Amino acid sequence: MIRVDSLSVRYDNFEALSIPFLTIEGGKFHAIIGPNGGGKTTFIKALVGLLPYEGTIEIDGMDHKRYLKKNSIGYLAQRGSQFSQFPITALEVVEMGRYRFKESAHIRRKKALEFLKVLEMEKFVQKNINELSGGQQQRILMARALATESKILILDEPLTGMDPKAQSLFYDMIKRIKDSFKLTVIMSSHDVGFISEYADNVICINKELVPHDESAKILSCAEFAQLYGPKIGIVEHHHLHSEKDDV
Amino acid sequence: MFELFTLFFIQRALLIGAVIAIVSGLIGPFIIYRKMSFIGVGISHGTFSGIAFGILLGVSPLPVAIIFAVGLGIFIGFTSRTGKISEDVSIGILFSFAMALGIFLISLSSGYHADIMGYLFGDILAISNNDLYLAIGVLGSVVLWYTLRSRQMKYMTFDEDFAKIAGVPVGIDYYIFMALISLSIVVIVNFVGVILASSIIIAPAASAKSMVKKFSSIVVLSIVLAELSILSGIIFSYNLNISSGPSIVFFVTFVFILSLFYRKIKNFKVKNR
Repeated sequence: MIRVDSLSVRYDNFEALSIPFLTIEGGKFHAIIGPNGGGKTTFIKALVGLLPYEGTIEIDGMDHKRYLKKNSIGYLAQRGSQFSQFPITALEVVEMGRYRFKESAHIRRKKALEFLKVLEMEKFVQKNINELSGGQQQRILMARALATESKILILDEPLTGMDPKAQSLFYDMIKRIKDSFKLTVIMSSHDVGFISEYADNVICINKELVPHDESAKILSCAEFAQLYGPKIGIVEHHHLHSEKDDV
Repeated sequence: MFELFTLFFIQRALLIGAVIAIVSGLIGPFIIYRKMSFIGVGISHGTFSGIAFGILLGVSPLPVAIIFAVGLGIFIGFTSRTGKISEDVSIGILFSFAMALGIFLISLSSGYHADIMGYLFGDILAISNNDLYLAIGVLGSVVLWYTLRSRQMKYMTFDEDFAKIAGVPVGIDYYIFMALISLSIVVIVNFVGVILASSIIIAPAASAKSMVKKFSSIVVLSIVLAELSILSGIIFSYNLNISSGPSIVFFVTFVFILSLFYRKIKNFKVKNR
């Protein structure tokens, strides 16, 4: 379980994110939604230890900074901001996830290969990651995140640039991985339609935590307006739910 | 033609040239992929102010140049890592300041300094045994670093954020890298001078990057191209009785242009397959 208390992230004097209190239950799929610039990536970067913050974060009862000194978190960065043009093979990329493990180069390779197999990417082992398609790169980076053997998998808007079919396949893959590795998945997304179908819990962020009915996976019109602004047109998805107010 | 290889100063220059080729080949590709090419210019000019300070104090310029270069390298690294000023802005300001400081300090020192031209454009006749020992020391440090830390550097260069999450001490590795670049630049400045030093560390790696794809191949080819350019430059300068620094830089640049043609031809062949 992740417990966040009085979290504040600042860029110079500007407060980018403020979360008074939040608990993220273990073993579930949590979706983070909110507008562009609302602080989703800021929250995720604070969680994985890439941004300094004020306040308290605890992971499984342990202080966040102490936790990160000993453990890696499985992390998939936003598409397009993930890596440089450095020539590195898919296998080496996945081996990055094994850095904390005190194991021989042979074992490291073997383990990395196992995670590439989980993502059905074993035939690209010796391929330069920069020569692969966006979808293939995404899977290799996912294998790297799994190779950390972290029980937490954090994905920052992984669906950017995907068509609805690819999104659906991606969600299926996440669900399969979550169940087989017994992971806590935290995933940010712009998409508020698809994600509600898959996530166990929705966390709404717009510079601060936007409270909503904890039992509901679907946001009401008022909650949606608070999150994205009142001028956003709301489309009803009758195949998902029937209440008029729901989004 | 081969008589030049019997000359002691040429043998010493060839030896330092070989050291520089290996050092540039191991460090240069990382500089290219980290988009830090301008850093060589900044640090080499910082070295000049160190040399000038040494001359003013009447001590050997080499140790002072090392202190200035490493100090400047770490300072540039610090300003860019803390994110307040970008790397290119801090280099752009500091390198002209370092040059101005160097000229100011030299003008304060009494007497005429004929060796200033040597520091600016390189002079293989001026290479001393101390320069050779420094070069071998730097080679040892760079080879040791590459053996122990190249995996971490690869991870950092590919994806620094994830490298940090995975547990790589990215800050420490970055500053070690900056210090090694600075030490390498001091050795190169002794060889080809302040003005021309950055091209030796950058051009062979850039040429190799145009020609091969695997990182290990880029490193090996960088070393080979740097060695060939330095050797050709020394022979050319000896036969034409011109300064060795510009001669070597002509060759590294020529090789770079050839590599661009090679890539064009290769791409053309792939397209028409």
